[in-house]
Amino acid sequence: MKFSVYRYNPDTDDEPYMQGFEVELRQGMMLRDALLAIREQDESFTFRHSCGEGVCGSDGVNVNGSNKLACITPLTELKEPVVVRPFPGRPVVRDLVVDMSQFYTRYKQVDPWLIRKEPMPEREILQSPEERDKLDGLYECIMCGCCSTSCPSFWWNPDKFLGPQALLSACRFLADSRDQAGEERLDKLEGPYKLFRCHTIMNCVEACPKGLNPTKAIGHIKAIMLKDAI
Amino acid sequence: MSRRASGLRAWFLQRASAIYLLLFILYVLQHMVLDAPNDFAAWRGWVAQPLVGLGLLLFFASLLLHAWVGIRDVLIDYVHPTAIRVTILTLIGFALIGCALWVLQIIFLAS
Repeated sequence: MKFSVYRYNPDTDDEPYMQGFEVELRQGMMLRDALLAIREQDESFTFRHSCGEGVCGSDGVNVNGSNKLACITPLTELKEPVVVRPFPGRPVVRDLVVDMSQFYTRYKQVDPWLIRKEPMPEREILQSPEERDKLDGLYECIMCGCCSTSCPSFWWNPDKFLGPQALLSACRFLADSRDQAGEERLDKLEGPYKLFRCHTIMNCVEACPKGLNPTKAIGHIKAIMLKDAI
Repeated sequence: MSRRASGLRAWFLQRASAIYLLLFILYVLQHMVLDAPNDFAAWRGWVAQPLVGLGLLLFFASLLLHAWVGIRDVLIDYVHPTAIRVTILTLIGFALIGCALWVLQIIFLAS
């Protein structure tokens, strides 16, 4: 199978370039296996990966124009030549490795932890099954970054727009019956940038390898805000 | 208006105005199909009806508001240098206010 892979080493290359590779297919091969095979051919080729089963979220890359997790993308689903690039809009550290610090900063901005105003009880804070159900589709995010780096609004304003990943997390804590900082969370999303740069483009929904729906979560936050405001 | 509302308010107004624009366009379309005015006097007579005049005023108010929010969104997305953004926003603001006055003139001259 033919591959065209983005190469850039800031120490030695003036400009990024695409390099062709040929990899022999095996049964059940995922894109990550092909990237490993490419590294055997050229050990200077660099990419992030770890668990190999779509849990750690390390090996998000742009494949034939869409952001995917390499470890759970079967090669049989991809058209030849497979064009593999780093996430769009992120500074490239080397080859497929990008600097995700801005993405993590946006995540930190939504205070992604439970906030209690009452004193902590001696034992666990119980939830009804219905309350627990509200977290489904929100808590499963592995922060691979496929959604935010496929979002045009995040490309244009990554310093101000929180992006689908952080907003999904904001919704996750707004939806949690144990959290007591809903008002403050909504206040923190105020203004035209943090939340309202979302124009429902829905690239995030298409990109999410876990099948989550950040657009729906953002709509949910807007609905809570509206209910709160009128 | 709180800073929070500047995001939520614009978003809400964009949607509310869109709904009104759609409903009024549907009304105008059905009027044009079923009972189209065939001369200038008929046009004037139609616009001079108080309900149609009010509907038209609301239509253009919604249209200009909708345009303002939409253009502001595009500028926030794509035009980052503050000076350029403020200049374009100001020019467009004046142009929209000009359109509004023009619409008022037309509707009040007709009625």
